[in-house]
Amino acid sequence: MEKRLIKKDALVGIAKKMAEELTVWAPVKKEDNVLFTPLTKDAEPFFAYLNSKNAPKQVFFPHTETLMKYTRTPKGMVFSAEENKAGKTVLFGVRPCDAHSFVLLDMLFDQEKYKDQYYITKRNNTTVITLACAEPPYATCFCTSVDGEPVSADGADIVLTDIGSEYLAEFITPKGEKLAKYFGETKADAVAETKKKEIAEKAKKAIKSKIPAHEVKPILDNNFEHPFWATIHGKCLACGTCTYMCPTCHCFDISDEAKASDGVRIRSWDSCMFPLFTKETSGHNPRISQKERWRQRVMHKFKYYVDNFNAIACVGCGRCVMSCPVNIDIRKIIEDISKL
Amino acid sequence: MENIDTKLREVAKRLLLEKKVDVIIGYEKGTLPMTATPCFVSTEAEADKLVFNDLCTQNLAKFVHDLITNHKNSQKRVKPEDRKKKIIGVVARGCTTRSLIIHLQERQYGRDEVYIIGVPCEGYVDRKNLAKSLQQAEILDGTIEGGQLKIKTAAGDKTVAFKDVIAPNCVVCRFNNPIISDIMIGSPAPAMNPDNEYSKINEFEKKSIEERWAYFTKEMEKCIRCNACRQACPSCYCPTCFVEQSQPQWVGIGEDKTDTQVFQCMRLYHMVGRCVDCGSCISVCPMGVDLRNYLKKIDKDCVELFGSRAGSSMEDMPPLGKYSEQDKEDFIFNP
Repeated sequence: MEKRLIKKDALVGIAKKMAEELTVWAPVKKEDNVLFTPLTKDAEPFFAYLNSKNAPKQVFFPHTETLMKYTRTPKGMVFSAEENKAGKTVLFGVRPCDAHSFVLLDMLFDQEKYKDQYYITKRNNTTVITLACAEPPYATCFCTSVDGEPVSADGADIVLTDIGSEYLAEFITPKGEKLAKYFGETKADAVAETKKKEIAEKAKKAIKSKIPAHEVKPILDNNFEHPFWATIHGKCLACGTCTYMCPTCHCFDISDEAKASDGVRIRSWDSCMFPLFTKETSGHNPRISQKERWRQRVMHKFKYYVDNFNAIACVGCGRCVMSCPVNIDIRKIIEDISKL
Repeated sequence: MENIDTKLREVAKRLLLEKKVDVIIGYEKGTLPMTATPCFVSTEAEADKLVFNDLCTQNLAKFVHDLITNHKNSQKRVKPEDRKKKIIGVVARGCTTRSLIIHLQERQYGRDEVYIIGVPCEGYVDRKNLAKSLQQAEILDGTIEGGQLKIKTAAGDKTVAFKDVIAPNCVVCRFNNPIISDIMIGSPAPAMNPDNEYSKINEFEKKSIEERWAYFTKEMEKCIRCNACRQACPSCYCPTCFVEQSQPQWVGIGEDKTDTQVFQCMRLYHMVGRCVDCGSCISVCPMGVDLRNYLKKIDKDCVELFGSRAGSSMEDMPPLGKYSEQDKEDFIFNP
């Protein structure tokens, strides 16, 4: 594997250089938030960030996406597709938890029986550069409980690790190696690698927040009906903050937006927290109240995904914990379930 | 701020014991440091978790409406003579009581269905303001004493004055003590300073149409349509919001910026004479959209044109719900 050392102040320059030729998404400071945004002349990348407010899943799975267009003509319907304008894309500086989320999303969108071309095209076109967490950014981080690590190559094509004086760049995949030209010529030595291993160990130990994510699976298997489910949702506002911030939430809705004889079929994010979620045309909704919707949220992440793909659909980034307006804490919910 | 937790818990226990209320909506300590979160107390033992302090942000009137509506829906198929009444107790500061007044004036429930535990308020900490003053460093622990927030952050210990991080709506609040209540806890809080209530709006009004539109566009572009503002608002209680209607569809479901603008515009205009400036929509917004600029403008117009402040008294009917010969009508001739 190719490994190089880059000067710490060179990172911004590298991202900007790439942005001249490719579409580069990077963390950008916008007022009080750090958001993943395509770099333009006015958008300066900000790598001294903790984690972005929004999850970078939107690069592959945008909030709104055109699936197809149609026009009603006297000779019948004419269908067309929207061309993908983004081309070669780089996702620069994602945290390892978010890179892990791509692996989880791949399991669903790029699987044996169903291949989502919209997602796969963007995913194949994109090189993921992970910026490892030499120090866990938040006290609410719990990646180690959900099969993640603060310094990890999971889901990454290139991993950058702050080893003190420099960044160690590891080119994990051939896709990553293709971008090696942007990273200078300084080869990494064994000292850098040892240093990285030490940092990785230290960072892992620094994750203090832990949840029994694996332990709750057998309990969830047997407790679809349980009085506990009535105790979570009382104060839930039924807003979509948790699911919209979540790197792994991927439920979507498909709708047609028509104007005269032209129409587009769009796919947009849905949220299990919304009252419209799974509401049927008849007016019936199998998940009739927030209680059932909350059960779905927990079950989907910690049971159904495990059943279907043998992986927990949570990466421990803590965004939902920090962003929930009424402080519904998934860590506490899982903790409480483990004690049932 | 005077610590009223002990008194609050005593009162809550007594009300539950005497069956004067079925459930009390209040605040408890959150799982994150320096937070408080809404909670529901229906047994005496649970009452020990109740708190009321400068970290309590949400307007609880929203939950009063939700609980009563849910209960009424559950009684629909019960024979009239077997129907049960449910009485909701609520810990209410000034703005919460204003929202309750709006609900009562709009005939959402009866005065006998809600038991108001009034609490004095000297304003709450604005989390976004606080985060800014801590340069976004994560809060690990902290206390509030004597107007000072002593905070342990990931970037070291910091002391912040409460007056510097108080929510902007609280600074200019006219009604920080409950307007109506069944019981009052603690002594009335000193008045806030509403003198400059509309100073920012006055400045904004002076800007050109282009500047104002540019600001509106910039703010609305932040919106991710999570609906947190609507969901947190006590005045947003329509059983089906126009956003979710599909026949006809008023707004698109996607991220089109005009759809977002239409959604926000429509919601804002539904707040005429109904926004109590409790700041809940602003505090819940994950993206920090400046909704208050517009809500405050609508409030100012209501005061200037109709002499009405939302939910400020049980007798003063809402401006859109009453007719007066003095109502301004010049807009008809001079739009």
